[in-house]
Amino acid sequence: MTPPAISTHGLTHTYGRTFALRPLDLEVEAGEIFGLLGHNGAGKTTTVGLLTTLLRPTSGRSTVAGYDVVGQAPQVRSRIGYLPENVQFYNDLTLVENLRFFARLSGLREPDRRITEVLAFLDFEGHDRQRLGTFSKGMRQRVGIAQAILHRPEVLFLDEPTSGLDPEGVRTLRQIVVRINAELGTTVFMNTHLLSEATRTCTSIGILRDGELVRHGSLAAILGAYPTEQALEEAYFETAGSPA
Amino acid sequence: MSVLAVVAGHELLASRRLRSPRVLMSMFVAMVAAASFIGWLTQRTVSGVYRQVLADGLTAQPDPFASVAPMYFARNTVIYVVMIGTLMAAVLGVQSALRDRRAGTADLVLTRPPGVRVVLAGRLSGLAVLLAGVVGASTLASWIAISLVVGAPVSVADSFRLVAWGGVTWVLLVGFAALGMWAGLHVRRETSALVAPVVAWAVIAFVIPQLGTAARPVSLLNPVATPPQTTGVFHMLSYLTGPASITEHFKTLSTAILEGPAWGLPVGSLAVVLVFAAVMVGAVLLTPAARLRGASDD
Repeated sequence: MTPPAISTHGLTHTYGRTFALRPLDLEVEAGEIFGLLGHNGAGKTTTVGLLTTLLRPTSGRSTVAGYDVVGQAPQVRSRIGYLPENVQFYNDLTLVENLRFFARLSGLREPDRRITEVLAFLDFEGHDRQRLGTFSKGMRQRVGIAQAILHRPEVLFLDEPTSGLDPEGVRTLRQIVVRINAELGTTVFMNTHLLSEATRTCTSIGILRDGELVRHGSLAAILGAYPTEQALEEAYFETAGSPA
Repeated sequence: MSVLAVVAGHELLASRRLRSPRVLMSMFVAMVAAASFIGWLTQRTVSGVYRQVLADGLTAQPDPFASVAPMYFARNTVIYVVMIGTLMAAVLGVQSALRDRRAGTADLVLTRPPGVRVVLAGRLSGLAVLLAGVVGASTLASWIAISLVVGAPVSVADSFRLVAWGGVTWVLLVGFAALGMWAGLHVRRETSALVAPVVAWAVIAFVIPQLGTAARPVSLLNPVATPPQTTGVFHMLSYLTGPASITEHFKTLSTAILEGPAWGLPVGSLAVVLVFAAVMVGAVLLTPAARLRGASDD
């Protein structure tokens, strides 16, 4: 049996005395596209921060790609890709200079060939010598995806990947995420507060409310209970509560 | 290519693209090259006056510049290191530390296999290589300028002196670059982070030395260290602040290296410069990862 790509047991995080994440028990199977839903401040970004080694848990433990996130952080980092919300780059450097740096940090010895491959995969060729400072939000998001998959990660973390994109950009990004999962076999963990994105992209979802996982299951099972998107929306507000 | 070399290479590339450090570096090398010519112009003026006075029969004393050693013309360079070089290094350091905070790229870097210490060590290594280039260029400029002034290539022994002095200068500049990096990592607001190392530089180069030298600020602009007071309250202040007068120790060391064995190598001054650089580098390397992630408030 294949071990889960992501597994957490009693994972918590506090900022001072405030609980950002209450004991979280979650498993995401390899090959899934998992969508973590919740209002702003529900604890989605904190969860990703803990799983990507950016934050240290207050208690509990978690594994990503079979490695302990705290005790084996370098092994975890070499197996994950991460696209933060509002991804930024070194604006004075060109696209290739930016990607070459991140590829080498990930241990790629000959990054240029891989950069060409990834840019072709993302249908984003012809911008190699352009400085990132001149790129639009949508272009930056593609570069963000490129830097995240350069080293062929087993698990890809996306934090609000469609935030700030126009409808065309949203659709393109959705297609890219599905292709990465299908063609590269990468497990995707995606934070979003857009239900429509979750229903069109994810294979399983979880709903966070005030740092607590209140619903978790396959999208098929949840859609079985709530057959229309409108019904799912109702289920979401029922479990996640109304935004403050 | 090791991770350290990757980060160092990135640091070099990014620093080269920034305008303000480029201007400061060019200015530093130009001033160092000019320093020898300023010394030469001084010599020509004084010698001209001497010849006139001699012709008028007003003196029988020998030409004061007749027995000046070639390395005398490198003397003014020391003050440019203290005045411009250290400031340039601090600015390079703070810009390096602010790069990820300003660009918001820290999360992309910190989710890669190398830990925060390797990243910081790489950034410092990049700055160290950059400063080695600047010091190398300025040492070469000095060598050429002095050769032109004295009308012959600088001797091998004096060339070694220049190289040794370049090494000490590099250590001092690395210390100031680390000071700038530390400020860039620990000060929350970007503007304050830029000002903090300048204030620290002013305190190290002017305030602390003044406390032990009877408050003679102009004397601090001399390339030769100001002798501490030997009586009264300033003697005590000098005793207390002496070890922290880093730039004065650098001047003492420079004079010893450039102008002859008669002085001997002041081991205490060498230790102060080395300890300063080591402490600042250590302080940067001990910075927790969270400091890299903190966005600047400006």
